[in-house]
Amino acid sequence: MCEKCGCQTGMGTKPKVIDVNKSLFEANEKIGEQNRHHVERMGAVAINMISSPGAGKTTLLEATADALKDSVTFGVIEGDIETEKDAQRIRAKGIPAVQLTTGGACHLDASLVHHGIHELEHIVPGGRLDIIFIENVGNLVCPAAFYLGEHKRIVMVSVPEGSDKPAKYPRAFIGSDLFVISKADLLPYFDFSVEEAISEARRLNPSIDVLIISPKSGQGMDKWLDYLSGILK
Amino acid sequence: MVQGLMKQVREIAQDHQAHRVTCIRLSIGPFSGVVLDSFSFAFEVLKRDDELFSQSRLVIKTPAPVLKCPHCGHEVEVQGVVEGEMELFGTFSRAKCPSCDMYGLAPFGGDDILLLQVEME
Repeated sequence: MCEKCGCQTGMGTKPKVIDVNKSLFEANEKIGEQNRHHVERMGAVAINMISSPGAGKTTLLEATADALKDSVTFGVIEGDIETEKDAQRIRAKGIPAVQLTTGGACHLDASLVHHGIHELEHIVPGGRLDIIFIENVGNLVCPAAFYLGEHKRIVMVSVPEGSDKPAKYPRAFIGSDLFVISKADLLPYFDFSVEEAISEARRLNPSIDVLIISPKSGQGMDKWLDYLSGILK
Repeated sequence: MVQGLMKQVREIAQDHQAHRVTCIRLSIGPFSGVVLDSFSFAFEVLKRDDELFSQSRLVIKTPAPVLKCPHCGHEVEVQGVVEGEMELFGTFSRAKCPSCDMYGLAPFGGDDILLLQVEME
């Protein structure tokens, strides 16, 4: 097209205008749905865990392994930019774990998790589990935009990070089912307002559940285990 | 995200035997978490080494944020917000619902990124 007046002469080729109206997330969401069905065929529910680095996702899973070892079968898909360290920690507890390394990307996407589910299915006897935890890359921003096929999404904030995190990273809270405040044993030493954290999270997402826990002191762990058995019912 | 966009547009261009994409129109939701400047910058950097995109223009539409009252279901479109919507959102959410006077307006939709239209030759 002639750029000056818009007439259709000049290059000899007519521009084509194609209406698409498709979400950029559509491809990811399709694979996410397939993941969900795959997980259900394994008899499991999938839980996507989102938090900043160091909030205590792996520590919570270690404590969960100790508590549920004899009653619930679960596997873990670990997402990290580099290293097998988290998967090794989980395996040390006798829990099957698959490590996904994104090689730089700051979040897991459905396609990576698809491979993770296959790998996990392969190493679990009989290929059946009750729960698959997907521990996302430590980051409160991008993971929130990528549906992985999970049945529940958990967002976790640890006490040292501060109670302003829901207000600062709204999307992670808008899309989550449960808000876990972790490292509660540190509450006496930090200016963390539980009230602020909960009211900001509920402002963004009125139906979000909240748990205050410390795997270290054991605080709230009974409620966490109740929450999990509620999902399995 | 931008690489994903370019992959999707490349497939469309191949389907239509186009050799050059001249314009890509997008709608980026106010609650998508995407920083427009960073998104455009990434596109400008990536298109340089790519014949198909080297002359592409990115046109981005940003719909106004919509807040919904959890009590009465009333929806409010927040006008006049261009950048930094998410930061301002905290202020809006403390506002009363114009319909039922309760507090606690919550974000509604606006978290998607849509590829609207592609122009190519």
